[in-house]
Amino acid sequence: MRSTRSLPVVVAGVLLVSACGGGGESVDTGAGGGGGGGGGDTLVAAVSAQPDQFDPHVTTAYPSFQVLENVYDTLVVPNAEDLTMEPSLAESWETSGDGLTWTFTLRDGVTFHDGSEFDAADVVYSYNRIIDEELSNSFRFQNVADVTAPDPRTVVITLSQPTPNLLERIGSFKGMAILPENAADELDLTTEANGTGPFRLESSDASRTVLTAYEDHWGGAAGVGGVEFRYITEPAAALTALQSGEVQWTDNVPPQQIESLTGDDTVELQTTPSVDYWYLSMNYARPPFDDRDVRRAISFAIDREAVAEAAWFGAAQPNQTAIPEDSFFHTDYAPFQPDPDQARQLLEQAGVQTPLTMGLMVTDEFPETVTAAQVIASQLEPIGINVEIETLDFATWLDRQGQGDFDAFYLGWLGNLDPAAYYQEQHQTDGPNNYQGYSNPQVDQLLQQGATETDETARKQVYDQAAQLIVDDVSYLYLYNPDVVQAWAPGLSGYQIRADKAINFETVELP
Amino acid sequence: MTGAPLPEPAVSPTATEAGVPSTARTSRPRWRETLVLLARNPTAAVAATVLLLIALMAVFDETLAPSGPNEIAVEDRLQPPSLEHPFGTDDLGRDILSRVVLGAAVSLRVGFLAVAFALVVGALIGLLAGFYGCWVDDVLMRFMDILFAFPAVLLAIAVLAVRGPGSGNTALAIGIVYVPVFARVTRASVLGVREEVYVRASRSVGASDWRLLTRHVLPNAAPPIIVQTSVSLAFAVLAEAALSFLGLGTQPPNPSWGLMLAEGRGFIDLAWWLAFFPGMAIFLTVLCFNLLGDGLRDVLDPRQRTLMAGSGR
Repeated sequence: MRSTRSLPVVVAGVLLVSACGGGGESVDTGAGGGGGGGGGDTLVAAVSAQPDQFDPHVTTAYPSFQVLENVYDTLVVPNAEDLTMEPSLAESWETSGDGLTWTFTLRDGVTFHDGSEFDAADVVYSYNRIIDEELSNSFRFQNVADVTAPDPRTVVITLSQPTPNLLERIGSFKGMAILPENAADELDLTTEANGTGPFRLESSDASRTVLTAYEDHWGGAAGVGGVEFRYITEPAAALTALQSGEVQWTDNVPPQQIESLTGDDTVELQTTPSVDYWYLSMNYARPPFDDRDVRRAISFAIDREAVAEAAWFGAAQPNQTAIPEDSFFHTDYAPFQPDPDQARQLLEQAGVQTPLTMGLMVTDEFPETVTAAQVIASQLEPIGINVEIETLDFATWLDRQGQGDFDAFYLGWLGNLDPAAYYQEQHQTDGPNNYQGYSNPQVDQLLQQGATETDETARKQVYDQAAQLIVDDVSYLYLYNPDVVQAWAPGLSGYQIRADKAINFETVELP
Repeated sequence: MTGAPLPEPAVSPTATEAGVPSTARTSRPRWRETLVLLARNPTAAVAATVLLLIALMAVFDETLAPSGPNEIAVEDRLQPPSLEHPFGTDDLGRDILSRVVLGAAVSLRVGFLAVAFALVVGALIGLLAGFYGCWVDDVLMRFMDILFAFPAVLLAIAVLAVRGPGSGNTALAIGIVYVPVFARVTRASVLGVREEVYVRASRSVGASDWRLLTRHVLPNAAPPIIVQTSVSLAFAVLAEAALSFLGLGTQPPNPSWGLMLAEGRGFIDLAWWLAFFPGMAIFLTVLCFNLLGDGLRDVLDPRQRTLMAGSGR
């Protein structure tokens, strides 16, 4: 229930959703068996919530993927530097002239954690499982006509139409993991795992998840003997645990402390721009928000810089489009400079009676939505819009979003790699996550064109045009891209902070 | 109607301790004597004074607050207490003193509305149940027992989950939670009073039920209810803070002490004043309501009262 509900939020890439992590301050009973403590070379990582389950094809929760990233592999993986796709379980691949047939050559000598050989049948099984059971990521295979294995080292994917971003679709995160053939019948995948990754899943309980290094990993054994993910909900507590040496890594850093930590030599803090974006969405079915001028007025009234500063203490880049500056698909477009006069004029032009009341739905599951909403409320007040903030629990929030029972809401999409997926989902007339009800035939047409255009430059131009229309029409009112903020013990080496927030401990070595 | 004595009901400690009052025999108006006695009790007097000040603060909030409570100035964020901002500023640069002052209005309004609702509904139910007994008593009090069986905060959360968050609904939710408490206290008190000689006498000369209830039963059953009101106000303010802390009560950006406490929690390492001042405000208000309740109980208890009045002369 929870995962299907949260699916909409999970767009193009990974995960918004956090499992509720219910009260999971780590309870040290010491009974956990096998886990930390003993082996001096176990990395202890503090994460904010407990994984909801370990079936990579089913879960949509970020805490699960933090673990699964280290347990499973995909055919291709994003490069840690620029997130372009590079070989993983597939050594190489070829595309036919018409772009409809992709042939992957698989790596030799790869074994699963139970010792069995990896071959093409496992890939076919895994992909067909996602397609046939219509699991959360089946939309990624919407153009796939057939997946076959002519021999144990070769997989052929046949497409119904050219899909230039096929590699992103099958490799951008571990939701597309390769399971051993018949894994779903032989294992309880919600609690067990059998992957090809650098670590095997040892145990998991209400306070921690323990991984141990897989000695026969195809890429060589990991740099540490194991990883223990400890759930520490409270950011301040996670930071204290890191400073006291109880944990060696955390991504649960309170943004307000970033500044004071940069000069602190008890922790190593790094930030990098992420591919997440946060936005305000208005309901086209609720007048006057169906009026483009009203939405534009609101867009002119909001000072994105101030909102980003308030929510992230400088650790976010204001952006009027979805895609951050470092990404290939970024387009430099910022038509809305804060201008209350113009905003008032637009409202008048639209014939709107002020004061106008706008409900703004936020959730305390993501506290930055509550902070940002208060700043937005103070910015809209001068132009005669009275914002009524509604703080809801996330389940209710998602319900109301699904039913279209809102004036406006504030949320983010995380881990967005290729625009085809998330633009189509959110801004195409019949997009599954187009909750606002945006419909612009020109955008629809551009998005269709972008999905099948094989020339990268031409494709970027198409998405640039679409992005500008989306911004101009205020389908989403984009505000900023926050940074990824992670901290670890000084001297910890081999770890790389990534824009897609994937957490990979394969090459990490303890001080 | 005056059948066999009913079994003694389970009552809250406050009600039993407060005891059932005897008839008023004094020549001076009773309320004035009560006030005088209360003023002689130093803790209660201090508590009452502080509460009066908080209430004044709540009434004159807009005039008293140095600046707008929702005026955001991100560049002034997290300033420590200073002359310009005596309580410092929060993470959005808002003046905490102003927010604490306006928070008083929010917290007290919710508290008073909630207790008023619980008092009116609960006392009415208790009065009817206690006075008429029989099936009226059974039906009403069993229903109260059902409500009472739920943990208070859980019941309030359930009400808010159905009605949606917000100040008005918070008051209603807390009010509903306290209805059974008032019903029980009132019923217990009424059970004792209705068998008093003066009630029987009045009845024997043909007084109507309405006259009996309003002239004899209610005034004489009132003291424990008054004590309960003061104590409940403390709990209501606390409950409002708890619900706002959980995000179900007052909605941002409006200040409520509980909400400010919740917001300040994440900054406790960096800026203690965010959580400290609203926390102190909650602490002080709740303490004063409790002390006042204690004082009232002493003053309204006939045995204690004679003792105090005697020593005072």
